[in-house]
Amino acid sequence: MRSHSHPFRCYKKPWVLYLLGLLLLLLSWREMASPSSIFIDEVGRKVTFPGPPKRIISLAPNITEILFALGMDEAIVGVTLNCNYPEKAKEKVAVGSYIRVDFERILSLKPDLVIATGAGNTRDMVNRLERLGIPTYVIFPKKFDDVLQSILHLGQLLRREEKALSIIQEMKERKQKVIEKTKSLPRPRVFLQIGESPMVTVGKGSFADDLIRLAGGENIAGEERQMYPRFGREEVLRRSPEVIIISTMNPKGDYDRMISEWNRWKTIYAVKQGRIHLIHSDLIDRPSPRMIDGLEEMARLIHQGPLLRPPEKESK
Amino acid sequence: MKRVTLKKVIVISSLLTLLLLLIVLFSLTVGSVKIKPQQTITIFLHSLMELGEKARDAEEMIILSLRLPRVLLAGLVGAGLSMAGVIFQVLLRNPLADPYILGVSSGSAVGTILAILLGLSTASFGLPVASFTGALLTIGIVFYFGRQNGKIHPNTLLLAGVVTGSFLSAVILFLLSLSQKEELHTILFWLMGDFSFSNFISFRIIFPYILFGFIFLYSRSRHYNLLLLGEEGAIQMGLSVERLKLLSYLSASLITAASVSVCGLIGFVGLIVPHGARTLFGADHRLLLPSSALIGASFLILSDTLARTLLAPVELPVGVITAAFGGPFFIYLLRRRKGVKTL
Amino acid sequence: MIEVQSIYFRYHQDWVLQDISFKIERGGFVGMIGPNGSGKTTLLKILYRLLSPQKGQVLFEDKPLQKMSRSEIAKKIAVVAQENYPLFPFRVEEVVLMGRSPYLGSLLFEGKKDLEIAQRAMEWTEILPLRERYLDELSGGERKRVFIARALAQEPEMILLDEPTANLDIHHQLDFLNLILNLNREKGLTIILASHDLNLTSEFCDRLILLQKGRIYCVGSPEEVITPENIEKVYGCKVWIDRNPFSQSPRVNFIVKENQP
Repeated sequence: MRSHSHPFRCYKKPWVLYLLGLLLLLLSWREMASPSSIFIDEVGRKVTFPGPPKRIISLAPNITEILFALGMDEAIVGVTLNCNYPEKAKEKVAVGSYIRVDFERILSLKPDLVIATGAGNTRDMVNRLERLGIPTYVIFPKKFDDVLQSILHLGQLLRREEKALSIIQEMKERKQKVIEKTKSLPRPRVFLQIGESPMVTVGKGSFADDLIRLAGGENIAGEERQMYPRFGREEVLRRSPEVIIISTMNPKGDYDRMISEWNRWKTIYAVKQGRIHLIHSDLIDRPSPRMIDGLEEMARLIHQGPLLRPPEKESK
Repeated sequence: MKRVTLKKVIVISSLLTLLLLLIVLFSLTVGSVKIKPQQTITIFLHSLMELGEKARDAEEMIILSLRLPRVLLAGLVGAGLSMAGVIFQVLLRNPLADPYILGVSSGSAVGTILAILLGLSTASFGLPVASFTGALLTIGIVFYFGRQNGKIHPNTLLLAGVVTGSFLSAVILFLLSLSQKEELHTILFWLMGDFSFSNFISFRIIFPYILFGFIFLYSRSRHYNLLLLGEEGAIQMGLSVERLKLLSYLSASLITAASVSVCGLIGFVGLIVPHGARTLFGADHRLLLPSSALIGASFLILSDTLARTLLAPVELPVGVITAAFGGPFFIYLLRRRKGVKTL
Repeated sequence: MIEVQSIYFRYHQDWVLQDISFKIERGGFVGMIGPNGSGKTTLLKILYRLLSPQKGQVLFEDKPLQKMSRSEIAKKIAVVAQENYPLFPFRVEEVVLMGRSPYLGSLLFEGKKDLEIAQRAMEWTEILPLRERYLDELSGGERKRVFIARALAQEPEMILLDEPTANLDIHHQLDFLNLILNLNREKGLTIILASHDLNLTSEFCDRLILLQKGRIYCVGSPEEVITPENIEKVYGCKVWIDRNPFSQSPRVNFIVKENQP
């Protein structure tokens, strides 16, 4: 290497500049020639992929449900082990759980788009997919209305905007109906239990909390800053809910056991009044089109039966 | 078995290296996605020739971007932990010592967990750095408390290490209780040993530590033989024991820190590989060090391959596999010792 | 050859050795005797610089021990002391070869010369047939000879021995000391031997150093040192001294209480 020549001396020769300019022009043509789409996903990342996606991998059960709802089931080449709805989803190739995926399997499926969720998949996973050169779109719904947005975004991404809009429209209308129906009803204090030992409930910022509010209830853990705070039974006793809703994967099978568990605590208002209900977990913690079913079910459970307020509200 | 000569070392090392290469090839071929061995070899050779060119098809990507860095890293870490294990066993005069006994691993874990809680991803550069920093701080603390009058007493050092390790474990549990669901998973897998986020950058970072560590430790291998006679015996043979101990502890600790920083806490490797190598090849460190390193590399590569293929697409943490091997082996060791004269 | 000048040593608060001075010429065969706790072992450890005195100095051939490097010391002074069992088993040949360590420096493998020297050391101590055996398979006497062989492999000018005949039966004790004597007479090695056994040291040593509570009580030939007065003063018991009929060395006879005059 000649140590005396300045590394940038070539710029002094004009024809090199012209050549570079031409090269850049050609490159930009290449870019323009292929109709690649550029999108910004819900966490602000730029996602590029050439042409409409034909081989999609979903990394979460709610994404799978949305994709099926949009009619993209043919294009889905990979799902997670947890994707159980609709039935057809179970037939697809599983690439792992939504916490850990098998990258080899993902690569071998040759996807042109992977859809992940910020609520569930790890940032790490998304970074690695990026590193491997696989376009990844991340949705990040946090409230009920966010879910509608995500459905719209995915609809736009996949050129199914019309279908997306119709789904959203229906969900909006049904939500409105619920709000109307419950507007004039009293707002009972609700305790939603999503875990057994330890007993976990839903706090501010979680989907279920949003659903409770929309369904016309007052979440007794609604002020907790943790999304999934742990409550002891004494805490529940102290806050004295009027309705207890238990989220479980097997509402029919668990019913008797859950009821008998709570029946030992007769001082809790909800227990005394026999207001313990079970709801299927998938309806209320999965940000998908079925969430509206969850909302309706929640409203039905909260407002059913006679509601008798305790004579004096004890200080908290 | 006769005594160890240079020729013996070269012959056995070559055989073990051959074994290692076969295991590397095997591991590159095997995975949750089936690829034919011939294809693997072609891709591998291809990559050596066309360095830098981006891989195009899926098979190439799988082998070069996913499996190769894992295999290389697992080999390096396996060698590193095994060597560190040999050294700790001779320095502490304790055949049950392993590289984590002085608490370096706990310090590393604290660094890593803090980094993950602060949002660093496992694929980033920052995580191994945080991990290594935690380890270095721990080494500093343990050595500060472990030295008396400028001398290192094995028992004092051991005590300092164990106490520091326990304290840091409490810190780890505390940090875990603060973690959210997603972080917990990543942290848990790291704590159990995880090669799934291996990349070439990590390899390049820790390679010098392992290499120079080996060179230093091997240059002292005859001296470690002398140490087996006890410190007094070694001094009688003209060895400057204190300096050797200090430098050796530091080297072994650095090797451990480097290894842990890229893949988490993988247990049992540093404990059982030295014993296995010693059973096969004897206690002479001139042969024990290279053979432990090579066997350790092979062992960990195989364990990692098993971890990612046994229940595909679900991946087991590699620490589970090494423990599955390690547990029974440990029991076997304990039973065997009953027949041997007590020290 | 080795000169000790007014050394004082302590481990913690109390002085274990005080004002120790003596000189040993090349080729001497010196015994260090004294009751338990008199400081024999400590003094020996100072002679090869395992320990360093707080006051005073040791000169080896007019050079201060402090200024010599460990390997320099190991090339001149070899030690046969209470041995730890090695952590993992080694063979006789390997143990003897360890004696070549001070000459190998940073070399990893022994050369031809080292192997020859080790061989000769094993021949001299008559353990050559045992070379492939593991150390823990040998009897006490055989093991001691291995350590002497190792000491010889160091090609030293002086050998220090600490209670070498403890736990050996009479036959082996004599064998051992004869071996040491030959080393002294034939090879000219200076020997310093610390022992409890008054009669054996009297028999084999040219000079004795009697220590009491960290101080030198007296130095001299066995006849000068082993006297009833000295023994009673230092050991606190009455003994009868006569002469070994064959060598004329002083011989200590016990007086059991009921037989005391």
